[in-house]
Amino acid sequence: MSATPDQANPVRAFVAQLWGSVFRHGLPTNDKVAARTALTNFFLHIHPVRVKKSAVRVSYTLCLGGLSFFLFILLTITGLFLMFYYIPSVDSAYQNVKDLQFVAVFGDIIRNMHRWAAHAMVITVWLHMARVFYQGAYKPPREFNWIIGTFLLLITLLLSFSGYLLPWDQLAIWAITVGTNMAKYAPIVGPYTRYLLLGGDQVAQGALIRFYVLHVIALPLIGFLLMVVHFWRVRKDGFTGGL
Amino acid sequence: MATVVEGGRDPSGAVTPRPQAPVSGPELANTPLVIRRREDEETVVTFPYLVWREFLAGLAAFVFLMLVSIQINAPLLQRANTSITPNPAKAPWYFVGLQELLERFPPIMAGVAFPSFVIIFMILTPYLDRNPSRRPQDRKVAIVLFTIYLCLAVAFVVIGEFFRGEAFNWDWTLILGHPGLSSPV
Ligand code: HEM
Repeated sequence: MSATPDQANPVRAFVAQLWGSVFRHGLPTNDKVAARTALTNFFLHIHPVRVKKSAVRVSYTLCLGGLSFFLFILLTITGLFLMFYYIPSVDSAYQNVKDLQFVAVFGDIIRNMHRWAAHAMVITVWLHMARVFYQGAYKPPREFNWIIGTFLLLITLLLSFSGYLLPWDQLAIWAITVGTNMAKYAPIVGPYTRYLLLGGDQVAQGALIRFYVLHVIALPLIGFLLMVVHFWRVRKDGFTGGL
Repeated sequence: MATVVEGGRDPSGAVTPRPQAPVSGPELANTPLVIRRREDEETVVTFPYLVWREFLAGLAAFVFLMLVSIQINAPLLQRANTSITPNPAKAPWYFVGLQELLERFPPIMAGVAFPSFVIIFMILTPYLDRNPSRRPQDRKVAIVLFTIYLCLAVAFVVIGEFFRGEAFNWDWTLILGHPGLSSPV
């Protein structure tokens, strides 16, 4: 990028200025520019500038934490589209989902993706936990990140569970009935917990709106915050690296 | 700011020494992305090396999910009806293991004691495991215990999902099909 042609060509100069204003650096043709790009970019600075080579081997993380996060993003995006159609009322919810599946353009793909990505995320988070355990990556100084991870696992399960009710079909209502019946068994607090969750004694409108609010606002927000802290600590503690 | 590039931190917090002879000028452009910083530890710049890999992994996952979503529809049964109880009524698969436990143990154990125990034990894991080594050879007990836990968790889900029929009773026919019928039901 020599200065002369840029000055001679106003279009190139403009493009160069535009690029520079966004990325602050040229293309990462060498280590130094690459490092600076990572340092000055908001989205990239979640990463350290350098990592141990052993830590980026696919065989080390198996991409599982990253995939869990990717699925979370994908679920957020597809979920947003679903929200354009879905009304959390027992009178309309089922029909809305049916319209999504059979009428709305690409509605079926979006819904299918949201569903399968949710199942996949439960699996990848479990596997991520297993890989962290088998590699002893929870040992000092990462004890606390393991705890955050435990809560992330619970949030993931609850997110999936709360979403299960929303289509308001036979599968949904009975799975949630069975699931929330389990809560009843806790001594003293059990029945209250169930009542609180369902907003009543039965899985009905009260339960639908509560699950909806938990599913689209409360749990994703808590999950996202926990992830931010989780990633921050991964970055600060450094990767455990190869064995 | 450039100092951060050279002096990274390792997990113990110690600042690693700068490279002895920093490359500069035309050599820099030819520096391979992998630089040996200490005798035993190679590092790479995360951008674009790691970011590129993440992008590829994400793309692969997306393409895979897209293909699955084009092929397989998410389930949608009849509209919810509280007067028709499906038989069996099952929890979502990741909670079916818990349902299976409830079938075998008193509710106070299966519904309350076991799950609480598992969660508390998980949270305490890093503090209970005082073994500093991360090498598998040194962690036989931890690995065996965790593997047993995983196997049990998977087994209960598989049993609940594939071996429990009407009224959540044991039922081979879910996977083997009915005797006398040509294909599994
Ligand atoms: C929503 C769920 C989760 C997400 C999105 C997530 C994401 C990540 C990511 C991206 C990493 C970097 C390494 C990698 O890709 O494997 C990581 C590391 C880690 N995760 Fe998670 N995680 C989640 C749940 C969990 C759970 C359930 C646990 C354990 C109970 C856990 C414990 C850890 C630990 C200890 C590390 C550091 C590993 C190391 O330094 O090698 N995480 N996580």
